[in-house]
Amino acid sequence: MKRVIAAIAAILFASFLLTAASTAADVFPSKPITGVVPFGPGGSTDILARTVEKVWPKYSTQPLVIVNKPGGGGVVGTEGVVRSKPDGYTLYFGYGSGHDVVMPSLQKMPYDTLKDLAPVARLSIHSVVVVTGVNSQFNSVKDMVAWSKKENKPITTAVSVKAGAVDLALTSLGKAAGIDIVTVPFTGGAEATTALAGGHLMIGGGHPSEIMSHIKAGRFKAIAVALPERDPSLPNVPTLREQGIDVATWGSIKGVAAPAGTPKEVIQYLEGTLKKVCEDPEFKKTMENLSQPVMYQGSEEFGKFLQQATADYAAIIKRLNIKID
Amino acid sequence: METIGGLISGFDIALTPINLLFAFIGALVGTAIGVLPGLGPAATIALLLPAIYVVQEPVTAIILMAGIFYGSMYGGSTTSILLNLPGEAASVVTCIDGYKMAKKGRAGAALGIAAIGSFVAGTIGILGMTLFAPAIAGFALSFGPPEKFSLAVVGLLMAVTLSGHSITKGLVMMAMGLLLASVGLDPISGKTRFSFGVIELQSGFDFVTLAMGVFGLGEIFIGLESAIKAEVATTKVGSVWPTLKDWAESRMAILRGTLIGFFVGVIPGGGAVISSLVSYAVEKKVAKHPEEFGEGAIEGVAGPEAANNAASSSSFIPLLTLGIPGNASIAMIFAALLIKGITPGPFLIQEHPEVFWGVIASMYLGNVMLLVLNLPLVGLWAQLTRVPFGIMAPVIILFTVIGSYSIQGQAFDIYSLIGFGLFGYLLRKLKFEPGPLVLAFVLGPMVEQSMRQSLLISGGHFSIFVTRPISLALIGLFAVLAVGQAAFLVYKKLSTTN
Repeated sequence: MKRVIAAIAAILFASFLLTAASTAADVFPSKPITGVVPFGPGGSTDILARTVEKVWPKYSTQPLVIVNKPGGGGVVGTEGVVRSKPDGYTLYFGYGSGHDVVMPSLQKMPYDTLKDLAPVARLSIHSVVVVTGVNSQFNSVKDMVAWSKKENKPITTAVSVKAGAVDLALTSLGKAAGIDIVTVPFTGGAEATTALAGGHLMIGGGHPSEIMSHIKAGRFKAIAVALPERDPSLPNVPTLREQGIDVATWGSIKGVAAPAGTPKEVIQYLEGTLKKVCEDPEFKKTMENLSQPVMYQGSEEFGKFLQQATADYAAIIKRLNIKID
Repeated sequence: METIGGLISGFDIALTPINLLFAFIGALVGTAIGVLPGLGPAATIALLLPAIYVVQEPVTAIILMAGIFYGSMYGGSTTSILLNLPGEAASVVTCIDGYKMAKKGRAGAALGIAAIGSFVAGTIGILGMTLFAPAIAGFALSFGPPEKFSLAVVGLLMAVTLSGHSITKGLVMMAMGLLLASVGLDPISGKTRFSFGVIELQSGFDFVTLAMGVFGLGEIFIGLESAIKAEVATTKVGSVWPTLKDWAESRMAILRGTLIGFFVGVIPGGGAVISSLVSYAVEKKVAKHPEEFGEGAIEGVAGPEAANNAASSSSFIPLLTLGIPGNASIAMIFAALLIKGITPGPFLIQEHPEVFWGVIASMYLGNVMLLVLNLPLVGLWAQLTRVPFGIMAPVIILFTVIGSYSIQGQAFDIYSLIGFGLFGYLLRKLKFEPGPLVLAFVLGPMVEQSMRQSLLISGGHFSIFVTRPISLALIGLFAVLAVGQAAFLVYKKLSTTN
């Protein structure tokens, strides 16, 4: 027992030394930057972040390291960033996702999305596509609505996370069409689409980068796009509005944020680097292959855009009287 | 054909200098910790988890961890035979006949047959994995939320019941693991649970910290208390090449051990430890001279050593195809994959063929390296046990502290590391097996989420778990095993009282 106590004393001493040694250096960046993706690996946000990670070293002296912290629909990882030191070494990838612009209108959040995070830049917007298995009897939203009404049965739906952009789009679809859509949340788009591919749910929703490989492999067919306009990567798929259902959303906005209180010069450095990344030909090419449009916006513009999007989502939620418990 | 193409591309990846180097490091470290009593593969992989943040490619990280895992199965036999001290849990039965052989001056033959048996079984196990894993992955898509729930729960219960330790204590460990996993934000709704206002707890306990504490520090603390003393059977190893007679006696034992190991390894909750116990029991049953068992029967070394290696290969199958880890060591590799941005599951072969085939190819190479490392150099490895614990322990402790701090850069993780270390120490003192706890901690979110998803799909009816064939079959399989084991225990009790 004595030796155990001695060992613990040694550990405490070592940990003290470590904490003492971790005072920051002056020039930013002087160490690798961590980019937190609050969803599981393989989803659309993760794919985007890892594409940035690859190109990043061309324009920065320090590498960007992407880590996944999934859970709680994205709240777990985002909260980690909110609570981290505002020094620019911990960034949040995916700012503008469902739990940022949708969830606050539905439930109490452990932090204030707009106030506790500082926008750095917008990278892309991912559309929401409604898909079914290739053998499904539903070839359009109309088929699905008719079946549900005739059989008086709910439509089980795979969505990436609870109260996310996909969940909201699908729930709105059900409300507007007057049918019961049961959304089953996963820890990210990759898991949700895998479950749909296994035929465990009737329909699913996802972003192009998550569903494209399944569509190309002949596992899924796309039946609708939940945006005001068609998605350029799926030109033959009609929008919900075209199919007589008055639902159109912003899709899932994907930007980068730092904790509030991060020095202005640091934000400017990060913003500038991300701008260069967005203009990089290799980055553009990869994004095109992934069916993700590059839609860069600088810090200030992006901040305003987010406020607008949050207000728009709140309006949809109010209009359709959506509650998610 | 796809398999051959995949395997060739896998060798392309495994043969790059960096991957070759890490496979070698894995084999080397694995053998070393296999030799060292008191430090098992799960603990070592846990201690090395922070290192994977440094390694660039995911496949390289997994090659390293896998190497440690199957390498330890080779090393484990050395101290069992020479010192009557199992280097790790899967070599416990090897002590029985291996040490007796060494006492009779046949240490070389025992070590030789253990290494050769390990090599044959390991290679056949990987061959089986190469052939069957892609097929299983195709079938894996039919595992939806209800099947995942049943598999995870059955796996947990099997890990508890098959471990050979107290079932009650195993269940307590399992429940604790599930409870620890529920700290933090609700995986579905994002509401905070059990954080007691501590900000760091809102994101839950960190797996690496928990594993390093409970496994790594816990074992070190126990080691500090009981400085390991052992009686060396012999320092002279002699020729490690088995004679023709040895070979004739152990040939079939190796093959039987391989088959047993392969199948036990695939079962969730199974793995190397159980397979070696089963193999020893089988060899004793089928032997022509069962009275030789316990007196230095070479089959009693060859069979279990083959079994634990085959199991260590085949236990990768459920991980790489279904994304469900079956035992504590594999659970660490599962966590490593997630950290590197890869979700193991049905689409792993298609989406990350470099990881799937690269790891498989490196396992073929790793087994060859291990044979070379172990046969001629076995005497050298035996010397490792002479390193005083007083030197090794502080070095390891320092690494765990740096490791846990480096993950998120917060001192809170060091305190929880110490807490978990003390907890792991207490568990060992009270004879609780920490394996089910760590496994339950990893599987906990999966169990919870898949259950809630299943109930959403079924509209709240629990019948979904018994009306879907795969789920029903899994539950049925467990019921049969549980009843069988209970009957066996009752029978044993009755026959001893009579």
